[in-house]
Formats: sequence, C-alpha cells, structure tokens
Amino acid sequence: MENTENQQEKSSHGLTKLAGKYLTFELGKEEYGIGILKVREIIGLMEITAVPHTPPYIKGVINLRGSVIPVLELRAKFNMEAQEYTDRTCIVVVEVQGESGTVMVGMIVDSVSEVLNIAENEIEPPPSFSGSDVENDNFLGMAKIKGKLKILLDVDKVIGQSGLGKLHEIT
Amino acid sequence: MANAEQNVIDLLDKLAVKIMMIEPGDLSAVGELLDILEKLQEQAASLSKTVLQQMASAVQSALQQVIMGELSDSAETFEQFAECVSRMQEVLRDGDDAGVMDKFCGHLASIGFKITLAEILGEGASSSDLSVVESPFLKDKELLECFIEETADYLGSIETHVLELEKNPGDSEALNAIFRSFHTIKGTAGSVELDDISRLAHATENLLAEVRNGVIAMDSSVTEAVLNIGDALQSMVDHVQEVYEKGISYSPLDVGPYIVIIDALMGKLEKAAGVAPEMPEKETDAPDADEEKEESLDFLNDVDLLSGFISEAFEHLESIELNVLELEQNPQDLEIINNIFRPFHTIKGVSGFLNLKTINKLAHMTENLLDDVRNGKLTMDSVIIDIVLGVGDTLRTMIQNVSDVLEQGPQAYKQFDISDYLEQIQETRSGESSIKTVNKQTASISSPEQIQEAAMPNPVHSEIKPASSPSSAAIKPENTSSASQAPRKKSIEASIKVDIRKLDGLVNAVGELVIMQAMVRHNPIIAGLSDPKLNKDFAQLTRITTDLQKTAMSMRMVPIRQTFQKMTRLVRDLSKKTGKKVDLVMRGEETEIDRNMVDSIYDPLVHMMRNSVDHGVQVPEQRRKAGKPEAGTVKLSAYQKGGNIIIEIADDGEGVNTEKIRNKALERGLIQKDSSLSDYEINNMIFLPGLSTADKITDVSGRGVGMDVVKKGVEKLRGKVELQSTPGVGSLFLMYLPLTLAIIDGIVVRVGEERYIIPTIAIRESMRPNMEYYNTVQGGRGETLLVRDTLIPIVRLYQIFGVKNACTEISEGITVIIENEGRQRALLVDELLGKQEVVIKSLGGYMKDIKGVAGGTILGDGRVGLILDLSGVISSTDEIDSTGTV
Repeated sequence: MENTENQQEKSSHGLTKLAGKYLTFELGKEEYGIGILKVREIIGLMEITAVPHTPPYIKGVINLRGSVIPVLELRAKFNMEAQEYTDRTCIVVVEVQGESGTVMVGMIVDSVSEVLNIAENEIEPPPSFSGSDVENDNFLGMAKIKGKLKILLDVDKVIGQSGLGKLHEIT
Repeated sequence: MANAEQNVIDLLDKLAVKIMMIEPGDLSAVGELLDILEKLQEQAASLSKTVLQQMASAVQSALQQVIMGELSDSAETFEQFAECVSRMQEVLRDGDDAGVMDKFCGHLASIGFKITLAEILGEGASSSDLSVVESPFLKDKELLECFIEETADYLGSIETHVLELEKNPGDSEALNAIFRSFHTIKGTAGSVELDDISRLAHATENLLAEVRNGVIAMDSSVTEAVLNIGDALQSMVDHVQEVYEKGISYSPLDVGPYIVIIDALMGKLEKAAGVAPEMPEKETDAPDADEEKEESLDFLNDVDLLSGFISEAFEHLESIELNVLELEQNPQDLEIINNIFRPFHTIKGVSGFLNLKTINKLAHMTENLLDDVRNGKLTMDSVIIDIVLGVGDTLRTMIQNVSDVLEQGPQAYKQFDISDYLEQIQETRSGESSIKTVNKQTASISSPEQIQEAAMPNPVHSEIKPASSPSSAAIKPENTSSASQAPRKKSIEASIKVDIRKLDGLVNAVGELVIMQAMVRHNPIIAGLSDPKLNKDFAQLTRITTDLQKTAMSMRMVPIRQTFQKMTRLVRDLSKKTGKKVDLVMRGEETEIDRNMVDSIYDPLVHMMRNSVDHGVQVPEQRRKAGKPEAGTVKLSAYQKGGNIIIEIADDGEGVNTEKIRNKALERGLIQKDSSLSDYEINNMIFLPGLSTADKITDVSGRGVGMDVVKKGVEKLRGKVELQSTPGVGSLFLMYLPLTLAIIDGIVVRVGEERYIIPTIAIRESMRPNMEYYNTVQGGRGETLLVRDTLIPIVRLYQIFGVKNACTEISEGITVIIENEGRQRALLVDELLGKQEVVIKSLGGYMKDIKGVAGGTILGDGRVGLILDLSGVISSTDEIDSTGTV
C-alpha cells in the first residue's frame, strides 16, 4: 500500500496533496509560497542577536515571546543579492521538522503578499535546474495564478535537514 | 492484536473442554488437540508470547508421545494435561510467572514427559522470535514511567536496608522493608510485562521469605546475593529506561545465574529443614480452586440480599479499620476488640448464608483469632493487628469484586488466594510463629482496583480480564503490600506527577514574567512617574513574581537523599576491598537539588568518596599509631549557603601530601621551581588530569583520572570544587553547585554591539590591563598578560566570534580572567555592563552545538543575549593559536 502511494507521488509529484492555501511573499521580483499550515505567525522586523560560527544566511536569534528562535535571511539562503531592509520587510515564523521534533524558525522576506487558495490544476512540478546552483529539493512545485508564477517552497527542506547539515559543515 | 489475544483465550478454553471430554484411547480426539495446539502456537507467536508458545509446543510434544505410545494414555495423563492448560491460561492472564511455569513442568514431569523450566524460558529467549518480542512493555508509557521511577526508589531503599541489616542482622523491620520492595518490584514489573525483572524479583522474594521465616540465616552470602541482584535489577531498569527513551531494542536480562545462586541458597534450606518452599502453596491451591468454581455459580442467586451485604460489609470493614487503629494505641482495650469482633462475625454469617465461601472462611478464621484474643489465649500484638488489617483489606477487595460481578456479570469474577492468611492465622493461634509479620499475608492480597488501574490504559490487559472465565484457577496476587499499607504507615504526602516538560514550560513562563515585569518597571515613562500608589503596587507585584518564581523553581527540586544513600553501599564495598574500617556519617540528606542535577553529581561524588576512603582514611594500624580510633569517619553533608548548594566530603585521614603534589607538578612541568604557590593552591592541583599522588594504582583509584572527572563534572553543572586539607587531621572536599540549572549568575559584557553573558562562577577577576604586563609571542600571534606571577593567554572575544566594531586595543578594553577546566584565559571585552541572574534558554535544535555558546537568554530590554560556553571559547582559541600555553 505504501508502495503504490509512493509511486503515485512520483508519477504526479504528489501534486494532489499540494493543493491548498499558501502564504505568498516576495523576494525581489519573484513570488514564493509556503503552505499555510507551516506558518506560525508573521512579525515585523526586530533586533536580531548575531550568533557566531553560523552560516552567513543565519542572521541570529530573536526573542519570540520568551522563546529564543533562529532567524535566517531567505535572500542569503538563495544566494540572492542582499537588500536594505524596508518597513515592509518582515519575519515569517514557520514550524519545521527538526532532528528532535518541530522547531520554530524565522525567515526574513522582502514583503508578505497574500494568502492564496491554489488548486491542483494550477500546480506544475518544478522544472529541473540542473547545472545551476539551484537546489531542486527546495521546491514543491510551481503555480501559475493570473499569469504570475508562484514558487512553492518546501520549508522543511529549505531550513530543515539540509540547513542543519550545512550549519554543521561550516561550524 | 486484541483479536489474536481473544483467539488465544478461545483456543485455550476449547483445549480445556476437549481435554476434559477426552476418552482414553481416542486417538482421533488427541489429533484434534494437536491441531488446536498448532493454532495456539501460531497465535501466541503472533502475539510474541514466546513462553506461551513454548508451553503449547511442550504439550504438543507430550501428546505426540502419547500417540506414539511412549506415554500412557490414561485418565491421569489427561488430567495432568488439563492442569497444563490451566497453567497456560494463567500465564496468558498474569504474565510469565516462574512459579506457574514450575508447576507446568511438574505436571508434565508427573506423566513422564521431561521438560525443564529453562527449556521453556531458555528456548523462548534464544529463539528467533526474540527479535519479535519488541519490548511489549513499551505499550503503556505512563505505567512504564511509573515503574522506572518507583523501581529506582525501591532499589535504593533495598540497598540501604540490606546494609542496615548487615550491621544489625536481627532487624526484622529492615528485612521486611527489603521484602516489600522486592515484592512491589515483582508486581509492577509483571504489570508492565517485564518478565525477566519480575521473575528475578519473585525468586528473590522467595529467598527473603525463607530468611524471614528464619529458615535461612541472613549471612554474608545472602547479603551479597541480594545486593548483586539489586545491581542487576538497577542495570535492567536503566536499560529499560534507555529502551523507553531511545527506542532501542530490548534485550532481556539473563536471570539464570541469579536464579542458580538463589536456588543454591535455598538449597541450604531444603537440607536444613527438609521442606520444599513451594509445597504448602500447591496444596492449598487446588481445593480452593474447586470450591470457588461452585461458589461463583451460587452466590448470584439472590441479588437483593447480595447488594445489601456488599454495602453493609463495606461499612463493617470501615469500622474494623478504625477500631484496629485505635486498638494499636490501646492494645488491651477489650471493648475495642469486641468492636472488631462483631463486624467480622456479621460478615462471616451473611457471607456464609450467601455462599460466598472464601469470604466466609477468611472472616471465620479471623473471628476465631479474635476470639482467642478476647479470651486471653493470645495477647493483642502488632502481628495480630497486622493480620487483621491485612484481612480487612483483602475482604474489601474481595467484596468489591463481588460487587463488580453483580454489575458486570460473572465474567468479572476473580479468585482470591487466602491460603497464606489462613496459614498465618493458624500459626499465630497455635503460637508457632510470632516472627511472621504483615508482609507474608499482604503478599497474597490481590486487589482488583490496583490491577484494574494498571490495566486500564492498556487495551490488551483489559481484553484479557473479562475473559478470565470462572473456570480458571486462583488469580495470583500481583499487587503490592506497600500500596495498601503505605498510606497508613507513612505520613501522607499528597503529590501529583507532572510531565517534566510542563514544569519546564512553567518555569520558562515565570522567568519571562520576571523579565517583563522588570522591563515594564524600568520603562522610562513609568520610571518617571512618582505616584506612591503605583510604586507600592509595583513592589507588591515584584514580591508576587519573586514568590512565584521561587515556587516554580522549587517544583523541580528533589531531596539529595537518594544520591547519598547510594554512597552507603559504595563506602561499604570500598572498605571491604581496602581492608579499612570506615563509618559513613550523612547530614542534610533533605537538602534539595535540581532534579536535572541528580544524575550528574553522582559520578563526581563517587570519585570523591573513593578518594576519601582509598587515600584519605588510613589502614587500622596506621590509625592506631596516629592515636585515632581504628575506624575512620567519612562525613558526607549537604547544605544550602547563599545561592549555592554545598556538598562536603570530609575524612579524618592523613590529609593530602602537599609535597608529593608539588613534586608531581614539577615533574610534569605544571609549575616552576621558584613559583610561590600556597599549599592550598598546590593541593587543588590534584584536580588536574594525570596528577595522582597514589603510590600504587589500585583497582579503586590512583590513575589520576578521578579528580579530573570530578572537576569536569562539577564545572559542567556550572559549579566548582575545592580541597582543604590539614596534614594529619584529614581532608575536606567542597563541591559548590548552583541551586538550579535553569538560572545562572552572570556578568553581562559588551563586545561591539553584541552582549554576552559570562557565568560568574568561572570569573576570577576583571581589570583594565596594565600594558606593562602585556607580552606577545611570535610577533603578536600569541598574547599574554601577567597576572600575579601567572602568564595568562589573552583571548580576543571579538576575534573568535567575528564581531565588528569592537574595541581592538588591549589598553582600552577590559580583560576578564576566567578559569575553566583548570585553564585560565583573559577575555578581552569592550565593557562590563553588570551582574545579572539570567534564565538559560536553549537556542533550539536548529542551533545546538555552537562552539563557545552555551545558550541564550532574554536580557532586560527583551533582546537575546548569548551565554558563553567557556570551554568552547578556550578550545576555539586553541585552534587559532596552537602555541598551547597552559
């Protein structure tokens, strides 16, 4: 039974499962989406305490109502050019699967756009970016909504395991 | 799962019926039995009940021999087979009990089919099915947690009492306590299906029962055996905990060797007394079972009368208990004895009328006993009081069961084994044994409430229970004496169990509250207000939050007693090994420490105790020469002083040989010849690795590792350790530990725009460096500062943490001299901001193991500050600067 499920997922990239609500945000001219269930909250930019011996995209830690949580700069993570923070810059706090249970992590994005309901037929599997330094694993799929492309992120991959692995490599 | 369970029950029932109906010589019927057994084995295997599977397989082989004509197919043979099936039912219901299995083997042996207990259990354990035995006890986590926690307690108490008993062999209180503990462990282990532990505890219990009955003497071999078993159980419990926490697979304990030891010890008894220990039980079991079968059908005839009896009986039992307790105060008060006698009499009468035979019998016997007391044939003593109380408890559970039967139908019926009571009453009345006390009988109390409680969260258990048909034989007592006795004996300390995560959550939230409160209060607008009412309210708020914080913190504290108790055993073993006489004196066991610290202080304590006994206390002759009593004294005390818990270990030995340490340190190049260090400073060098002053390496200590372990362990807890020694008088170890692990005392420092917290306990001093004492090595790659004759390497914190805009001029910054693991460093920072107690927060799984950072905390302004991990800081400088100037 599990096998057939896996096959199904492979054949259609599990696109059926991808349909649902997404929080979309901007990074430069690109629009990204994360599954709404992963999002814990959106907070304005606050003072971030730098943590030594971490990769450059880890900005540091913040105090989220008594909990200390790490914050990463998504632009830096995606090797995009850095940009001055504006009053629209904010931190999207997501919950991802860490080594020991779920952890909360903040992501700095240029601005948050909206919550979109994306249907199955609007989603396409991500194209292969082989040869470039794009990490294919980071994307669940692409959605075309009103002529605009939304890149659906797999946050678990973006900041979860792969992020941790890199962090250890560098330190 | 539940289905398979039900299938097994059904198959066993079917088997029982078929065997009962079988005619000798009817081989086709025997063939049917074989089929059923085959299925049974399959089902048992699917349930991972290897023992049951082995039993079924044994019966199957025996039946095959019957078909082959190797065994006679007489009626007796099949009777024995029927018994075997009953035993299998018991095993299915009650778990693998060595006693039951023993009987099982006995049944087969009596018809000429040889099988040993080891074959059933051994094969079960070594068969490939073992991997399938996927830690069945993991089913019920709550129960398991309970078991782990309790068993650790009991094992601790066992050890203490065994040692007490060794000093004072006649101490029946201690013996009883040990017995009770093993009994409880047996029961709880059984309830979580840890059969190996349960079996071992059971065997030990049997051994102790004989000791208690005076058949075996409590000599050193028994003591040793019990201690070893305690150790084995402890390691099993540790293993279980590991299995539980880490999900590794469970490997059962090989209890064989221990059982052999116990058997050997028991063997002595058989020769001495010529009685097999299990015999009386066997005799009483069978007739009881028959009786009960009839009874279970009968007593339901008159429901009205029965329910009347139940409610009345409870009242009677209540009054019995009250009166007995009163009697304990005035043992000779006849009026009270009468008050106890009457309700028993009533219960006897009505239960007899209702055909509740077991209850009737027990009440009747007790009545007889009380009658003897009333007539002056016996004097009311604690033994009788214990019996009466125990009987009362048993009657209550039995009557409760009757009431269950009334509500749920006959399948809820349970059998109670009262033979132990009857025996005991008999003995007491005939004046045979006055040593026997409460535990013998409580051992046979079966309390349904407890079984039920244990079974409730466990679907499999509750599946079995209703199915335990009236035809099955006596339910073996599985539950504990302490549960029914404890509430009376101990002062009642009401407590609840709380998930540690919830507690941590509370502590965190309270920490936040304290910070928020400070932030609000220091808000410039509010601080600028000068309203007396507001100030008063703030003061009140501060008081409340401080109280709240204290309470929340105290919830994680436990007395240090348990850790101390383990030292008793250690000192005993050590003094035996070294041939020294040592008295251990303990003080302040009630001092509370952070629960999370309990495990971490154990190792350092062990090393320090070893050191005190092995190096500190001299051998008896030397002590005599020095004019000291032959037996040395090691004092272990704990107390709270300021913000610290202090643990002291003092011995009255010869003290530390300062000269020896100085020479060793010189030898190893740790100090200069002309360095002017005080004796105290030299003595404390024993905490450095590899610096042992022992002339010979014993298996106890002397490798120069111990004290290093102590220091590392204590520093990990953010504590420190020091040694004070007076030559000829003794040495004193002082261990300073923080009150709690959740809060540390720190100095907040600024480096560039970042703020870091340095744990105060590691700070020696801080200063604006005097450039006269500043030196460089290799063109500035290594920097040192001379502080009081010691060259201390400088660590530029901004450099290793990559902080921008920090002060880079040594002369403009501040150096904080820290010490960690015996190494000193001068940390260069921009500014000291102040001292603060901070709540430690983990940076989360995402950012753990960052070198030099122990965690984070929320500072007064709501921002996060990082707490330095000094050993990390030092080791990261080692990477940069490998000149290695220690």
